[in-house]
Amino acid sequence: MLIAPLFLLGLLGLGLPWWLHRLETQTTEREQFATTRFLEASKKRIHVQRKLRFLVLMALRMAFLAFLVFAFARPILFKQPEVAAVGDDNVHHVILVDTSFSMHEGSKLAEARTRAQQILDNLKSGDSASLYAASASVTTLAEQTSTNEISKLLPALSADNGRLDLGAMVAALNGLLKNSKAAVVLHVVSDYQLTSQAVRFADMIPDVVNGRAVTLDIQQLGSKTPANTMVESVLVENRSSVIASIRTFNGEIAGKDKQVSLSINGSKTQTQDVPASSNGLSTVTFKDVVFAEGYNKVDLLLTPADSLAEDDVRHTVFDNSPPATVLLLTADVKSLGVTYISAALSTAPRGYVVEAKSINDFDARVLQRYPWLIIEDLGAVNASLALALTDYVHGGGAVFAALGPHSSSVGTVPVLNLPLTNPAPAKDQTATLISQIDTSHPALNDSSGWNNINVRALKVVPTSDDHVLIAQNRDTPVLLERNIGAGHFVLFTSSLDNTASDLPVKPVFVSFMAEMAQYLSNEKLLVKEQVADSYLQLTQSGGGSGQVEDPNGKKLLSLQGTTQAQEVLLNLTGYYRVFTTAGEVLVAVNPDRRESDLTPITAKTLQDWQASVTGAASAGVVATDTALVAKPSKDANEIEIWRFFLLGMATLVLAESLLGNRCLNFKTGTF
Amino acid sequence: MAATANKNSPMHLLDPQVLASLSNLELVAKAAVEGFVIGLHRSPKFGFSQEFVEYRAYGEGDDPRYIDWNVYARTDKTYIKRFLGETNSHLMILLDSSASMGYGSQGLSKLQVGKFLAASLAYMSSRQHDAVGVMVFADEVLSYRPPASRSGSLQGVIHALDKAEAKQGTAIHKPMTRFQENIRRRGLVAVISDFYCDTQELLDNVRPLAVQGQDVILFHLLDPAELAPKLLTSTLFEDMETGHAVEVSPAFMQTEYRDRINAHISAIRKAASGMNCDHVLINTSEPLDKPLHSYLTFREKRG
Repeated sequence: MLIAPLFLLGLLGLGLPWWLHRLETQTTEREQFATTRFLEASKKRIHVQRKLRFLVLMALRMAFLAFLVFAFARPILFKQPEVAAVGDDNVHHVILVDTSFSMHEGSKLAEARTRAQQILDNLKSGDSASLYAASASVTTLAEQTSTNEISKLLPALSADNGRLDLGAMVAALNGLLKNSKAAVVLHVVSDYQLTSQAVRFADMIPDVVNGRAVTLDIQQLGSKTPANTMVESVLVENRSSVIASIRTFNGEIAGKDKQVSLSINGSKTQTQDVPASSNGLSTVTFKDVVFAEGYNKVDLLLTPADSLAEDDVRHTVFDNSPPATVLLLTADVKSLGVTYISAALSTAPRGYVVEAKSINDFDARVLQRYPWLIIEDLGAVNASLALALTDYVHGGGAVFAALGPHSSSVGTVPVLNLPLTNPAPAKDQTATLISQIDTSHPALNDSSGWNNINVRALKVVPTSDDHVLIAQNRDTPVLLERNIGAGHFVLFTSSLDNTASDLPVKPVFVSFMAEMAQYLSNEKLLVKEQVADSYLQLTQSGGGSGQVEDPNGKKLLSLQGTTQAQEVLLNLTGYYRVFTTAGEVLVAVNPDRRESDLTPITAKTLQDWQASVTGAASAGVVATDTALVAKPSKDANEIEIWRFFLLGMATLVLAESLLGNRCLNFKTGTF
Repeated sequence: MAATANKNSPMHLLDPQVLASLSNLELVAKAAVEGFVIGLHRSPKFGFSQEFVEYRAYGEGDDPRYIDWNVYARTDKTYIKRFLGETNSHLMILLDSSASMGYGSQGLSKLQVGKFLAASLAYMSSRQHDAVGVMVFADEVLSYRPPASRSGSLQGVIHALDKAEAKQGTAIHKPMTRFQENIRRRGLVAVISDFYCDTQELLDNVRPLAVQGQDVILFHLLDPAELAPKLLTSTLFEDMETGHAVEVSPAFMQTEYRDRINAHISAIRKAASGMNCDHVLINTSEPLDKPLHSYLTFREKRG
């Protein structure tokens, strides 16, 4: 590269500024004079400064040209790898033991301990080792310590209820091994379920930092693929029937091989045989099931147990609470709007009973009995009721209000105090159609059907406190929400009868009212069934967080934590009790169903993985020998530095411009 | 540029810039002298013509061209004609060609102007039948032609002048010594130089000439940039003779330098006056009438 003809030609160009500067020096630096006998040297040596300035300018220009030449030559620095590869004693053995739910199967965990011990036994003196447990997250058990210390930790290894994802595992390892400068041998001891493979294959390739060599040692457990049966899902129908789906992976269900028992709140009520199925999926229906009022624990247990007995039981929560009562304040209890609202809410999955009351006859003191309410015509609300509603919302209540017929005669929206005007006549038909919907709002997840809704909305100018959820255009909000204190106030700027809007007679109204009811009652926020090793969002459990008890009855939060904790890890299977401001809620936790599928990753995929990580060796080879540590690629040790030259050129151009500009001010000293 | 003469006037031929455009030095001398002569008011004192005055017996050294052969035929004796203004003297021109004489801020160096002046003097003297000689010197005598009034001697003088180049340093004692050794006859001596030498040294070398009876006129050539420099910024000046470099400031050149050069000129003039010599300061940008006029006045006084 450095003797390339073009490079040498470019270097010759360095002579150009030198030659030009010599010309400049000869013509302007000195002037001849007849005699200097009458001259006296100036105290200020300006010509020296000027000469220096010209020299610096010349140096800058030559440096610029040199940088240009080097930048085009694309030089490369060869960095010495920090870790010697082959034969180097300085190798870091990282042992990852799969402790996910599937490791409960048979004697996999014991076999994993044995493999880990074998790896430790084969380490050479001077090698360091770390031990990590890999499940839903990677847990550090021992980091770069002696083999004896790690050996002591192995018996304590136990499987949990989480799910292993190899991509997430490698991502976690990247962070853990970032500072390790030694060559790394990854010993991954796992059953390598097909479901643990990352969605993107590239996610399973660890980062190579500082040219560090990384070698993958695949330690696969279990020589055969066992069949496994589990209760996949449970559905309660008509508050009296329980339908259980039974699935067998890697096999089929023979008749009378398995029984499934139903327990309600811990009491075994019914047992049935699992019907035979060639495709591995059977359905069992339990009829005439009697549930207690409120939350019920519904357990389905398969017998006899198989090699992975932990997934033979399925926990479910069924809320058998009676339909909730919703207060509807209206100017006319016999209006069409009341009919539409009542009909929509009665068909909601939760079931609501609408209690319609006249605004004029309503005693505001009973507001606190209702967690949320609907106001059909907010314009009919008088000042005292508006004040009571403000207090109610401030204290945590929720209101969904519409601007009914009386609203067009008032100038301000009660409670929200927003200016209210009648809209100008629509110029065309599209002016009344919906144009914007905030689908991120919990009450508007299903936005289909809104496009052809015609709404003649009263014109409300929202403030910065208001969140516009649905709008016709920027000036005309149709649905807006304001958080007041601990509560919410949702305003529909048209009426809920079909005089000013055709929303109530469209199908979307039913789903909209159901979702709005769930949102305002906080019911939608809490997921009652979760997978193990996920997090329960306490802020979604109904207002502020509360105490949480795990399936063993252990309180998970301190007194301070009950007000500050944002989430709780659900690492056990069973029922968690969550105490919220709205009452006690049960959350059923089951293992991820993908952990029950014990089908392994294909040998070809494992081979590709190992080849991608190490660039050597084939799958199945136990690469505990340090000689198998991959050599860092040549490319990893090459650093292209032409970018630095470009950066330097930019700096030089700036400096040259500044200095050259000063030199331009030079006035010749001739007479 | 001090050339103020009208282009249509004969005086413009005295402008050094105009003379510089002429092809050879002899032509320069003729143009300058003719321009000068034509421009002169006719005056008995400065009569400068071919008007016959008297006969004189031929003596050794006289130009045979001026022998009146008619008189010889009648009397068998050789007489030569004498004309108005002719004094039958001789002129020795000493031209300094040191490196400092090569300086010129306006395209024309002091040496070139010195050559013009020397050639003009030689031509004018030749027209008056004076014997003319030349000595070109720097730190040594570079060429020497003794005074002669013979036919062709003017061409020889002009040729010697034409060859002069500005180089080397100045050593005024060498031409003076050489001059004293070779010239015994009393006459006129025109020293053309910028006189960048020690005043005492000049005194020491010129005084013997004066004692010897020579009439000495010092033509002191200086460039306008030497007399009144206008410097814009600090400049590094290199001495043309020694190569010594000095960085000077504009303020110095505006004040201190002018005082120093004026003091030097005064010292030269004073020294010349003390030796009964004439001193003519010549600004090389000005026409040559002033030095030629000075020469004629000088010659008249001595004549």
